Amino acid sequence: MKTQSSRRRLSGSGFCALALVLGFLALAPSHATVDDALSFAYEAAAPYVKQGFTVREDAWGGDLGVKDQKAVTAQLFRGNEYWFWTGTDVRNAVVSVSIYDSTGKLVQSEAWQRGRFSGARVTPQRSGTYYAIVTIHKSPAERTHWALVYGYR
Amino acid sequence: MIPRLLLFAPALVAASALAADTTVTPPEAVDLSKFPAASVEEVVVPVPSEIFIVLDKLGSPNWKNELPENEGQSTGNRAQVALLLGAVIADGFIAVQAQDSERVKDIGQHVLTLADAINVRKAVLARSKSITEKADAKKWPEVRREFDGALQDVRGAMEELGDRDLAQLVSVGGWVRGTQALTSVVSKNYSADGAELLNQPHILDHFIRQMDDLENPRLKKEPLVARVRKLLASLRPLIARASAAAPNQDTVKKINRLTGDTVSAITTGEG
Repeated sequence: MKTQSSRRRLSGSGFCALALVLGFLALAPSHATVDDALSFAYEAAAPYVKQGFTVREDAWGGDLGVKDQKAVTAQLFRGNEYWFWTGTDVRNAVVSVSIYDSTGKLVQSEAWQRGRFSGARVTPQRSGTYYAIVTIHKSPAERTHWALVYGYR
Repeated sequence: MIPRLLLFAPALVAASALAADTTVTPPEAVDLSKFPAASVEEVVVPVPSEIFIVLDKLGSPNWKNELPENEGQSTGNRAQVALLLGAVIADGFIAVQAQDSERVKDIGQHVLTLADAINVRKAVLARSKSITEKADAKKWPEVRREFDGALQDVRGAMEELGDRDLAQLVSVGGWVRGTQALTSVVSKNYSADGAELLNQPHILDHFIRQMDDLENPRLKKEPLVARVRKLLASLRPLIARASAAAPNQDTVKKINRLTGDTVSAITTGEG
């Protein structure tokens, strides 16, 4: 499976840019430098900030073929509540994220999927290693850019 | 810079919500051992506040007591500066938990000074200003996010400069200081729930690998770096495996002593 993926750094833009953009539409530049898939992942996360979630600035992304998967290993802590969100810039693509524990058991307590956006919530029963598995279910593109972010409270 | 697509994001979300959902039912279980290694990303290193807010839920730690009298100073040695930078950013998270505006602002300035010492000042200048403004406004979740961003920006800037090794040291320095603070709080008021937060075997293995894989042989031989590598190796038997119970109080104290000694070495530069 050919997969390109990488941990992405947000150079002071990312989520802050998302918050700012709604207020400064007229000032927005005409060319993009931030990965669009990442912008969509942050768009999926935005409503949860009002619920008290702190969204990490660290983010992950890459491109996958249809039916391909990527697992992101995460250290989660019992006592916290987490949401993971994915986004893609490919119109009509369907991407999802699901959370599994270190034994491979599905542990998410809630999940949603709406086209290019998806989210999964987990309240870990114990602290340890978990896997956020990103899947491209369908896409008009051969390779589909995706991005994953998460938040906690 | 802001992606043009974001201009239409609200409309896109609405359009997606109206679109027919594709039913996505994940399997109840997956065999992770059959997952291709190339398809598994390295472990996500948590920021200290992910742990600290759990401790807040378990009790009321006196976070001000966890702040050091000073965060140490640069010796000019790049490895020490990188480790110290990570540790000082971790102090920033502690100061946020303590809701200590003045200390947060001091730490924000210290981050800037240390970043300057390793040529990544520009990467954190905006963050430092933002930390000051948001600390004055007592917008704690936003200050927390700025420290998280500062950590990522410093790492990213170092990687762009070809200093991946130093970027790793920043992460390790932050984790060691965060673990010292965690074990300090837990050992003062021991509970299995608090001690279970030390169940981080993948994180520890990740750091051990990173330190073993440092590309610069001179850096690897630096006394302080060697000391950190030794610390990580000594912690491995103490940090629980996924299936193990939480460490007992003696183990928590031992981890606190080991990490505390290393943090002292980092802050003074005495490897």
